[in-house]
Parts: sequence; C-alpha cells; structure tokens
Amino acid sequence: MGPATAGPTEDTAGRAPAPRPATASARRNRRGSRAERLAPLVLLAPAILIIAGLRLWPLLLGINFSFTGDGARNGMNVGLDNYLTLLHDPLFRTALRNVGLLVLLLPVAVAIPGLLATFIFLKVPGHRLYRGVYFFPAVLSPVIVGAIFNLLLAFDGPLNALLGGLGIGPVDWLGNPDVAIFAVVGVHIWATFGMALVVFLAGFATLDSSVLDAAKVDGASLPQTIWHVIIPSLSRTIQFVFVTTMIGMLTSMFGLLYVMTGGGPAGSTYLPEYYVWIQQGQMNQPALASAASTALFLIMLVVGLGQIGILRRAGKED
Amino acid sequence: MKQRTLWTAALVVGLAFTAGCGSASGPGSSSGGSSDKLVVWDWKSGDPKAASYIQKAKADFAKKHPGVNLEFVAQPFDQYYTLLGAAIQSGKGPDVIMFNGGGKIRDRSDALAPLDSYIADDRQRLTGWDAFAKDGKTYAEPVTLQGHPIYYNKDLYQKAGLNPDAPATTLDEFIKNCGVITQKTGAKCFALGNKEGFGIQFWLSALGSAVLTPQEYDDWIAGKRNWSSPDVKQIFELWKQAGDTGLNTDGANSTAMFNDAFAAFSSGKAANVIGLMSDVGHWKDFAEFLTPEKIGVMQAPLVNPAAKPSLPYDGGIGYAVAKWTKDPKLAADVVRSLTSTEPLQAFSLDGGAIASDTTIDIAKSGPAAKAIVAEVKTGKPALHVALSSTTVDLMGRLSQQLLSDSITVDDVLAQLAASDKTG
Repeated sequence: MGPATAGPTEDTAGRAPAPRPATASARRNRRGSRAERLAPLVLLAPAILIIAGLRLWPLLLGINFSFTGDGARNGMNVGLDNYLTLLHDPLFRTALRNVGLLVLLLPVAVAIPGLLATFIFLKVPGHRLYRGVYFFPAVLSPVIVGAIFNLLLAFDGPLNALLGGLGIGPVDWLGNPDVAIFAVVGVHIWATFGMALVVFLAGFATLDSSVLDAAKVDGASLPQTIWHVIIPSLSRTIQFVFVTTMIGMLTSMFGLLYVMTGGGPAGSTYLPEYYVWIQQGQMNQPALASAASTALFLIMLVVGLGQIGILRRAGKED
Repeated sequence: MKQRTLWTAALVVGLAFTAGCGSASGPGSSSGGSSDKLVVWDWKSGDPKAASYIQKAKADFAKKHPGVNLEFVAQPFDQYYTLLGAAIQSGKGPDVIMFNGGGKIRDRSDALAPLDSYIADDRQRLTGWDAFAKDGKTYAEPVTLQGHPIYYNKDLYQKAGLNPDAPATTLDEFIKNCGVITQKTGAKCFALGNKEGFGIQFWLSALGSAVLTPQEYDDWIAGKRNWSSPDVKQIFELWKQAGDTGLNTDGANSTAMFNDAFAAFSSGKAANVIGLMSDVGHWKDFAEFLTPEKIGVMQAPLVNPAAKPSLPYDGGIGYAVAKWTKDPKLAADVVRSLTSTEPLQAFSLDGGAIASDTTIDIAKSGPAAKAIVAEVKTGKPALHVALSSTTVDLMGRLSQQLLSDSITVDDVLAQLAASDKTG
C-alpha cells in the first residue's frame, strides 16, 4: 500500500517543479511513521529498564553472589559449596518439606472458599452477612492476625479452655513440632480465603442460571448440583484461584511465621523465605542466603511455569 | 507536533531518572563518610530510658570535638543485623555501630576497626571486654554488662512459709522449696519462654557454674569444650527433667521469653526466673508489678559439690568503629564518650541497666542491683556466649525438641559437639 501510492508522487516530483506542500507532507509522513515505529519502544522502555535494572540485574548479581563464600572466605569463589551446605542442612530440608506440605494442602485452601462461595451463591439464610464476615480477615495485616492467634492458640488461651471444657486435654498449638505448621497454615488460610471467595463469587456471576434451573427441575441434589454443574462451569475460576493461592502461600507467610512461631518449635515451621532471612540477618551468611534464595527462585519458576502451562491448556479447551 | 515533542522530552527525562535508579552503584552515599559528621547506628537512642544517657554522651563528645556533628540513627532491633549486614556488604554505612557482645560482633569483626590503640585509658575502669574481643584484638567498648542472675519473688516465698532472705543453696533444696510454693500458692517454679530458643541459653549459663567444675568451666570458655563430659550432660538432663516434672510454666515452647515469660514472673505465676541484667528482663523491668524490694537475686543452687557457683556475665552491648570510617581516632572518641562515667551513670539510673563502669555509684538502685553488682567481681563469662551463633541457634531448636520429648539428651550433645567443631 505505502510504496504503491508513493511511486506516482515521486514520478510527478521528477517531472515538474515539486509542489511544496506535497513533499512536506511526504516527509512528515515518513517522519511520522518512524516516530510511530519508535513510539512503542520508547513507551516500553521505562518498564523494561525498571525490570532489567531493578529485577533481572540484581537477580543475576544475587545468583553470582551465591557462588562466593561467607566470613573468612568473603568474596572468594567457592563454586557449589553453598548449595552443598544447603543440601546437608536439615533446616533447609525441613523448609523444602514444608513447601511440599503446602502444595499438598493447596486443595483444602481452595476448597474452603469454593464451598463457602457456593453456599453464599445458593443463598443460604444470612448469606449477605457471611459475605462480609468471610472477607473481613483479608483486610488485616499478617502481623495483627498472628498476634490475635498467638493469644487464641496460647497454651492457656481460649481455644484450649474450650477444649478443656469438652474434656479434651490442652494442645500446645504453636509449641508442638508436629502441630505448629498446621496451625500456622490454618491461620494463613483463614486470613486469606476472603480474596479467593470474592473471585469465586465473581465466577458465579457468570454462571448460566438456566443450567442450574434445569438441574433443579431434574431433581438434582445439592452435592450433585455442585459436582456436575457448578464445578465444571467454574473450571477456569478454580484454576485461577489455585495459582494465586499457591503463590500467596509460598510468598506471604513470612509475617505469620515471624509472629507466631519464629520458625520453631525445633525449626518445624521453617519455609525457604524464613530461612533466607535468618541466614542473612541473624547468622551473617549472606552468600548462603543468596544460594537459598536462588533455590527458592528455581522452585517458584518451576511451580509458576507448571501453572501457566495448566492455565494455557485449559484456555485451549475453551 | 509541539505536543509530541513535549511528550518525547518528558519520556527522555523520565528515562534518565529510571536509568539512574537502575545503576547498581549510585553516586555518593547518604550515611557516614564526611569528617565533620559522624553517624552512629544503634537500637537504643530512641528509647526514652536512654535519652539522658545519649544526651550526656553527646555533650561529652561536643566538649572534646566542637564542630563535629553526631547523628544517632535508632534502628529497630528486629531488623538491626539485617540492615547492618546490607551496610557491611556495600562497604558503606555508619561510622560507629552498636553491637551485642559475643557471636554477633565476632562474626562481623572483619568490618570493624580494632580499638586497642585508642582505649588504653579505659581498660581498668570498664569491665566486660572479652565479649568484644577476637583473636586478641578489641573491637568495641562495653556499655552494659549482660548476664543471667536467678531472680525470685520474695512475696511467694513468704506466702509459702519460706524465708525470703535465705534462698536455697543446693538444687535439691531449691526444687523442694518449689514444691512447697506450688502447693501453697499455685505458682510454678520457673517462668520459662523458649519460643525463640532463648530459654536453654539462659539455663546453660545460669546453672553452668553450679554443675561444671571450675576447671571445666574455664576450659569451656577457652574453647576446649568436652561435650561428652558427664557434667555437661547433666545440664541438659536437668533442662529436660525440669520440663518433664512440670517445674516450668506451661507451653514453654510457644511462650516468648520477651516478654511473656517475664510477664508471667512479674505477675506472680512463677516464683523464679532466669533473667537478664541489662536492656530488658531485669529487676527494674519487673517493677511494674514487683517493687524492687520484693525481688531477690540468688546464686545458682549447687548441683555438683565440686562446682563453684558464680554470676555468669559478659559485656552486654557496646559501640564499635566501622573499618570504612575516615578518621578512626575520631570515631573511637565517640565510643569513648559513650562509655564515659557520667553518661553510664545516667543509663544505669534511668534504665536500670548494670553498666560496664565499675566506678559508678549504685546507691540509688534497688537491692537486687546491689546484689548483682556485688557478684560482678567474682563472676565469669557466660557459657552460651562462648558458642558460635550457629551452635546457639541449633541448641535453641534442640532444646525445644527436648521439651517436646522428641529427642534424647545424648543425641542433642552429639549434634552440638559436631556443630561446635565446625564452628
């Protein structure tokens, strides 16, 4: 299109004295198109520079730093020593095991808001109130949530008093190495499921009500309706909640851990993030901490790519 | 057209800014450096109890170096060593740095300037130097002494019909007294918080001198630690027994030492607590509920007849000079002002801290403070302070396992020995 119209103009320009306005407009066109070609680059540049300069470059520096030593070997190249230390550190292994545990608990963390959203959608009595109540914890900071549950779950706290009233012995929720991680994850789910609930409700808003009516007419029970109608229609929403909940669990439990258990008892509630912080800040081993963050980065990369893959496949099905 | 030029200009300016942000080493540094201003980092100067201490130290320094500005930057203690780690990595930061004694400063001594040539005049007046020394060089001057006296609640002893002025001298007697107190008042024997793993550190150091022989004790401090010795084993066995027999307040593993365990002691839920001498968790800290005359200080009750109980203490906090400061002598003078007698006297009076200065007057402090100061002369360095941070951290976790009954004492000692060997 461009050359075809440009050709004749040049021809006329060659034959007769150039009509000024025409050349000017051609030049402007050409300059305009160059500006248009550059514009996206210029407009993208701030974002790219910020990502490259403040994310990727420090990331590379951090990975590079993880191959150097700590303390007396500060600045020396130690190869894979830090990674070997990590592999042999029972604390880091516990942290990785806890990541695995989080992945296993993920279905629970997704099912709870899903079920509650279903009840709200089906308009159980008081659903308006529940909608607000369920979302409420999402506005609290993890430190406040942690402090509240520190009191509730204390050995002489209300929960144990309640259990005592029922004749069940007190449980040291945050002091028993076998129980503490579940207590913290439970509190994390409690504190964050409101967001997922809202996403589910938004998903419900797109549900085709005629399908639900048809199910009702056909005499489907509630579990049958959930299983055969609601879940299949919401598959994309559910996948989205899976991804965001997983990311939330892996990256934003630090505040709760810090306030509720401090990684204890006996290191049983360590997560890689917490391990990085302890090694850098408390143990003065920044290079080892870098190695741990690199490992955490790789884990996140694998989990993230896996989830993107799943989402993409689900998108194609649609 | 004009508008587009404006947009481009705006973008170019914006880019120039972001590019500046992106570069790894920006020009200039905001803290430290210039010789007419010195920057001090600590976590105390924001505390009202330390206000007159800081003010007096500043006045002392201004007298010696008029025209040099001192800027105190109070960092939150939670983040202190994290922030400091970043400063050390970048080789820029404060000129004068507050440190805890022991592992915290030794691990970071590479970033500090030795002070030995500037502080000869203070050697005699101050005590607690060892906690700030490594390989024969001194890196900081002590401000307070930190140690682990055993505090007891005289009221509870009285209510149980025991003589509050004659506490037990042997462990058997001590435990028997505890039984009486628990029976008569319902209070537990020890207020214990081991959520952070601090409980075992206090236990090891407070009872160590009553279990180890003087020879074993000195060897331990000198770095010749025999983790398989029966005496060392007994300290950890006693820890486990205290947990198993219910001497401690409930839920020790989920109770924070700071300040839930101390609150349990000051509110009379337990008769004894292994506390601190400075900063927090000391006699003046309990004063909200327990007036100073109701707080007693006892020597570690004897376990091994061959042992000689003594007060375990080291230099608590101190000020060091960064390696990168322009004029180390000037920075050392800041440290000397911060450890001169008058400011320390104010700190001791307002904060209740046991100061490193042996010449200050403690007449106005409580009886507990006097009892502690009286024992400072015969005191010895605390056992846990001699361990590396890694070993102390491991010990904290193992102690939690001992309390939750998921490990044996022998296993604990084997792991600690291995960690102690590698540093």
